[in-house]
Amino acid sequence: MCASVKYNIRGPALIPRMKTKHRFYYVTLFSIVLLGLIATGVFQFWPHSIESSGDGGVEKRSIREVPVVRLPAASPIPERGDLSCRMHTCFDVYRCGFNPKNKIKVYIYPLKKYVDDAGVPVSSTISREYNELLAAISDSDYYTDDISRACLFVPSIDVLNQSPLRIKETAQALAQLSRWDRGTNHLLFNMLPGGPPDYNTALDVPRDRALLAGGGFSTWTYRQGYDVSIPVFSPLSAEVALPEKAPGPRRYFLLSSQMAIHPEYREDLEALQAKHRESVLVLDKCTNLSEGVLSVRKRCHQHQVFDYPQVLQEATFCVVLRGARLGQAVLSDVLQAGCVPVVIADSYILPFSEVLDWKRASVVVPEEKMSDMYSILQNIPQRQIEEMQRQARWFWEAYFQSIKAIALATLQIINDRIYPYAAISYEEWNDPPAVKWTSVSNPLFLPLIPPQSQGFTAIVLTYDRVESLFRVITEVSKVPSLSKLLVVWNNQNKNPPEESLWPKIRVPLKVVRTAENKLSNRFFPYDEIETEAVLAIDDDIIMLTSDELQFGYEVWREFPDRLVGYPGRLHLWDHEMNKWKYESEWTNEVSMVLTGAAFYHKYFNYLYTYKMPGDIKNWVDAHMNCEDIAMNFLVANVTGKAVIKVTPRKKFKCPECTAIDGLSLDQTHMVERSECINKFASVFGTMPLKVVEHRADPVLYKDDFPEKLKSFPNIGSL
Amino acid sequence: MPLWRTKSFWLALSVSWLLLILLGVFPLRLAVPPGPPPGRSRGWPHWLDAAFLQSFSQSETLPEDATQLPRAPQGSSCTWGACFDTSKCKGNVLKIFAHSPAGTTTEAHRRILDSLEGSRYYALSPAEACLHLFLPSQDQTCGPLPPHWNGGRNHLVLSLYPAPCTRLGQAMVAEATPSLDIFRPGFDIALPYLPEAHPLQGGAPGQLQQHSPRPGATLLAVAEEKGRWRTTDTHASTCPWGKHCEQDPGPHQTHPGETLPNATFCLIPGHRSAASCFLQALQAGCIPVLLSPRWELPFSEVIDWTKAVIIADERLPLQVLAALRDMLPSKILSLRQQTQFLWTTYFSSVEKVIHTTLEIVQDRIWGTSAHSSLMWNSPPGALLALPSFSTSLKDFPFYHLQQGSSPESSFSALIWVGVSGEPLLKLIQVVAGSRYCAQILILWSSEKPPPDRWPETTVPLTVIEGRRKASDRFFPYSDISTNAILSLDAHSSLSTSEVDFAFVVWQSFPERMVGFLTRNHFWDEASGAWSCSAEVANEFSMVLTTAAFYHRYYHTLFTYSLPKALRTMADDTPTCVDILMNFLVATVTKLPPIKVPYGRQLREAVPLAAEGPGPTPELQPLAQDCFSRVAAGFGHMPLVASRVRLDPVLFKDPVSVQRKKYRSLEKP
Repeated sequence: MCASVKYNIRGPALIPRMKTKHRFYYVTLFSIVLLGLIATGVFQFWPHSIESSGDGGVEKRSIREVPVVRLPAASPIPERGDLSCRMHTCFDVYRCGFNPKNKIKVYIYPLKKYVDDAGVPVSSTISREYNELLAAISDSDYYTDDISRACLFVPSIDVLNQSPLRIKETAQALAQLSRWDRGTNHLLFNMLPGGPPDYNTALDVPRDRALLAGGGFSTWTYRQGYDVSIPVFSPLSAEVALPEKAPGPRRYFLLSSQMAIHPEYREDLEALQAKHRESVLVLDKCTNLSEGVLSVRKRCHQHQVFDYPQVLQEATFCVVLRGARLGQAVLSDVLQAGCVPVVIADSYILPFSEVLDWKRASVVVPEEKMSDMYSILQNIPQRQIEEMQRQARWFWEAYFQSIKAIALATLQIINDRIYPYAAISYEEWNDPPAVKWTSVSNPLFLPLIPPQSQGFTAIVLTYDRVESLFRVITEVSKVPSLSKLLVVWNNQNKNPPEESLWPKIRVPLKVVRTAENKLSNRFFPYDEIETEAVLAIDDDIIMLTSDELQFGYEVWREFPDRLVGYPGRLHLWDHEMNKWKYESEWTNEVSMVLTGAAFYHKYFNYLYTYKMPGDIKNWVDAHMNCEDIAMNFLVANVTGKAVIKVTPRKKFKCPECTAIDGLSLDQTHMVERSECINKFASVFGTMPLKVVEHRADPVLYKDDFPEKLKSFPNIGSL
Repeated sequence: MPLWRTKSFWLALSVSWLLLILLGVFPLRLAVPPGPPPGRSRGWPHWLDAAFLQSFSQSETLPEDATQLPRAPQGSSCTWGACFDTSKCKGNVLKIFAHSPAGTTTEAHRRILDSLEGSRYYALSPAEACLHLFLPSQDQTCGPLPPHWNGGRNHLVLSLYPAPCTRLGQAMVAEATPSLDIFRPGFDIALPYLPEAHPLQGGAPGQLQQHSPRPGATLLAVAEEKGRWRTTDTHASTCPWGKHCEQDPGPHQTHPGETLPNATFCLIPGHRSAASCFLQALQAGCIPVLLSPRWELPFSEVIDWTKAVIIADERLPLQVLAALRDMLPSKILSLRQQTQFLWTTYFSSVEKVIHTTLEIVQDRIWGTSAHSSLMWNSPPGALLALPSFSTSLKDFPFYHLQQGSSPESSFSALIWVGVSGEPLLKLIQVVAGSRYCAQILILWSSEKPPPDRWPETTVPLTVIEGRRKASDRFFPYSDISTNAILSLDAHSSLSTSEVDFAFVVWQSFPERMVGFLTRNHFWDEASGAWSCSAEVANEFSMVLTTAAFYHRYYHTLFTYSLPKALRTMADDTPTCVDILMNFLVATVTKLPPIKVPYGRQLREAVPLAAEGPGPTPELQPLAQDCFSRVAAGFGHMPLVASRVRLDPVLFKDPVSVQRKKYRSLEKP
């Protein structure tokens, strides 16, 4: 830009001085330079511009062009898999040391074609699924192209299916990988292990210490906590879209759709069908199909032809029986159809069983008990069946649906082992989204009544009402269980009074000066708060008696996960305006307590300061209002519980005020508070506040009993 | 000439522009010679011929004749399906028979057998039993195998302390901290390493006093040899364990003996001998950080340990320390609480450990009707949540929050008619007057025949003939159609608004009992036993079930989970059922019951409980005796005192009666 400006200025001045010959030179020179540049530019960018228009700069080559590697017959073969391997013995965790964000880095070896001495290929280069799998890893956050920073290595040698492999040569190919090192930190994916006649349940290729993500492990080959059990991918799921079907009773109670079943098992199944007739359907291969019909997509019962996998949606339970291999692709089809799998394969390690709770989605029947299967299934209540149907479909959607889903779940499992403190929880793995939305996990779930001796910390938020503040301090200091008093001085323009002027009280008094006059300062988790119980109190709440405060603390001890406060309020649905309304009248119900005088757990300070959803915190600070309503929303949302209003007290400020309190009567104030409720409800996406009709009083409150024998006699005035 | 000049000027200008654009926008392209294709570093290539690739399973022809039936596995390769015969395990109860090596019954064995006798699992003869329990001797001679051994089939070899001979035949093995190499997941059961002096029953509760750690609390304690602990800080420069660091481990204190420092995390090395520190840390609420444990965690089949402990790799000390330092307060909070829950629920006594073991075996037998993971891993725990009650978690009183459900809005009144068979007209009218009442059940336990005619009510009324036993009161009758039960006595005198208000309160606390009349418990120094009193006091810990709301589930729990001895005691001493029910609910909730206002409390308290199965106000010696026996039977004192009564929001406030919803509650 600058250069052109220069020319712009100088150009006209320079050119007139040039001779014609020079001009000609210049023109020619410029033209040549121009042409050269255009030519270079075109040659430079031509091929790329086409490529990048296609797929964002990724190399486009043919698989036939991959480099060929010749494996000498004598090249080394890895040891057979070591059955005693565990993460802390066979896995080199140091390589995962420098991965930021608790995420492992995965390297994929470039694709090569392996041939033996005679030039005969070791296997077909790569299958469609393995190509998809590697592409999925490559597109994920786990991928790195820097081999020296990788924690996990994935060979591009395809061992998904063992049958077409030449075992010895494949092993040799693995052994010559550049970072093989006895297979340490290498991950192999295999879905169809073993070969005739006895079909091992794990990949037969010698692989030394490599991790195996295998479909069809048995308890004898599966190295718990080291290998990963994965599903056998069903290619049908990519071809056929089965829309989700609502759970409920279906036409057939039990269905068997597999074609290759041991004759003895087929006899058992047919006996069941003979006994229960209409409710059991046992399908087999079709023998009389016309030309051109895909036999994989059809199943037959006698002469009746059914579409597969659609027929699975007609059944409540679907049999998944072991074949030659333990892992069966039919499991995936069955889950997709929302049919509850009945797994009959002794010692089979179900896919992702390390993290998935299969009890919620399947029924496992021992092979010996196959004939009792029907009665076992009939004992399951309908509600539980529907739950399982829903769960089965969710498992398919989340972890079976595509090769990508399988690959990412596998890497997540390995990642969770390496960074256990950042691992995904049981609920995140297993709860369907609908459950995740409605369920509440109370952060203070342990029923624990804290000891009285701990006491509470009173936090007084103040700006400049020193006289009133001192009265509050004096009053609060009379409460036996007070252990510390914290004054949050929210006025930046004025210094707090001299130390000597403060009331002398029996507990430590600390003044915290804030940087900005923000309402949220009262909810900051100050390190000075050493107790779990916090009493938030405004600097003008002078009417609470010592008995009332002490009793409030006792109530909090019994309900430490709730807001326990004195001024009760209510939210109401305004049918005319179609929105929420704030109510401060003396009603029969309570859904909020104001934090002008309330006990709560210190943890909620942390939540308010760091975990408040949306922009609520800023909104409160900007409007200088509704911090108490925000706290009520937050606590109710996270615990799912209602507040507790303590004692009949309804007036808190000056005794001579006849009204509830000056501010609250103000009409604009009420409108603004209603506005807050509507705003917060929309941010939370729901109305978390719970309405209750009770308040907490001492056991003998207003009972006909000598006042002097009551623990908290000075309670009862409004 | 000017034309020429202008032309050349424009040419120069355009050339310079072009130059600028080309040089400015693609300077690198020009500078770097065309080397390797730039797509190389962008991950897995998109093959041109990817569409022509074959599926991995396409070449697979299904091997139809190759299916083999499984071979019968032997010993070390046993699995649940192959080595356990469930055909003998019928019904809702796991029947077990315990063999012990003849002659050499050790103290430990006797304690185990004692805890089983009278529990809900016991079978009288070995022929009836579904599971045979075998306690191997701890000396070097392996001793003879018990009769009915049958190759170890359906046997559980249970060894709380390390014993030489455990792996026998097809038997399952339950042993303390088994090594990962020999543990058979889904078949064997891992037990905790219990100290010698572990209490048989009850046991000490968790030591955690606070949900969240105090600010500035010590972060880390490290388990050392001989049960010592050492506190340390987590600065990256110091190195808390192992040989991986050469620097000085930094300032530390050594705590001798068994005292566990008050730290947030407890590092426990991975070798088996350190496993004894594990329970210690769990009880103290110090989050165990296990460094590559070589042993299976106790009850790992059902307990989700990731919710209570951190399992880390011992080879990454600095990373683990950094992770502990940066752990979110919310995570620390939940881990701490879970340690306490697990300790009190499954580990605090020998009895709990044994029952948990049996419950796991039972879950395997039950299959689909077993405890769900939520039941095992959230309060009150699987020993107190019976899946035979319902397979839907929404039916239980404890899981409403996790399930996002709320309790039903109606209740069943269950009126117990005792010996004299008094008229019930007034009581039935009061209860039926409640808008929440769904049905009335009369439990007729009198010698007199029930009357033929009952008052006309708007809700269905059913009469159940009791077996004239006191424990009948809490039998899970199938006629009860709602989850909320209002338990009443023929003598109870309530008003409809009292019933309404109490039920609305119960909906907020469905796992607790909500009652009108209360009792206290206290430690009687003079007699050195727990005692109870009916005096009017500022606190209470029990409510009388002669008028109380509670969840239907407690009937199931009362009938099927209480030890037989306690149930028969209740039948012998009818005043006991009330106490027993309160103990049971308190064991489950670990919280006090709820009291709501009762208008006639002082005036009518005496006649109310004069004849009913509750303790009378001037507690007879019988009731006192019963109380201390129940307390002994439970092995600990579950009752918790409360100083709170829940009243209607405007209760007895000096405001217009017209404003109040529960007006009649305030009439004298």
